[in-house]
Amino acid sequence: MSLDTQLEAATSEYQRLQKELSDAIEARQRLDSQFQENEVVQKEFKLLKDDANIFKLIGPVLVKQDKSEATTNVNKRLDYIRSEIKRVETQLADLSEKSEKKKFEVCR
Amino acid sequence: MGKLRPKKRPFQFTIPSTPSSLARKEDTMTTSVAPKQQTIELTDLDLTQLSEVKKQLEEELSHLTSSFGQLKQVQTRFQDCIASVETIKGGKSGELVDTDKVIVDVGTGYYIEKGLDDALKFYAEKVEFVKNNSETLQQTITSKQNNLKSKK
Repeated sequence: MSLDTQLEAATSEYQRLQKELSDAIEARQRLDSQFQENEVVQKEFKLLKDDANIFKLIGPVLVKQDKSEATTNVNKRLDYIRSEIKRVETQLADLSEKSEKKKFEVCR
Repeated sequence: MGKLRPKKRPFQFTIPSTPSSLARKEDTMTTSVAPKQQTIELTDLDLTQLSEVKKQLEEELSHLTSSFGQLKQVQTRFQDCIASVETIKGGKSGELVDTDKVIVDVGTGYYIEKGLDDALKFYAEKVEFVKNNSETLQQTITSKQNNLKSKK
């Protein structure tokens, strides 16, 4: 009986870990697509002349922005996303290790 | 052990994600863990696990297929953009005053003013980009489909 309860606890713990893991994977994918989008914009900025007109969509309004300002903005975003990806990456490694351990607990 | 607790154990561990670590652990544990967890031999899996594998593959496939559809849609959208710019270029633009330049949405909330030819080039590149991606995706889908078929 106690074996059963133990097993059940381990199983639910394992399921929780799996859920967290899939959440982290989702977050990782989202970050990846954001990163790519920003990268494309950055590339586009590089091709532009310095006096090109750049607008930023703020709410319903297009606001004109300096190229330098826009570029630093995008660069900053890329840096941020990069650090976020690193964070989620370690989280992922951590979680998969934990869930692997749980798996053995359940199997045992 | 299958007889001891046949129903209780959920078979979510279809294929071990890291077989190497599993194998290592098993060397020291002489009992319980069934060898079928170790290898990915399909014939060794039981029915529940097989259907899990199948389900997983099907999910992947449907995800990929929907991504493919999205890519196709995006491609058409960009092609529409090209058509629009070309209409302006052709001078059939009714009430528009400034027809030399257009504002192009480059993503993440940024818009860039571009000459007509630049805009056309921009969209043509986008279409090409999306096309390449969907071709790669198409290949992935085909190979997954083959996987799935061989499992039946």
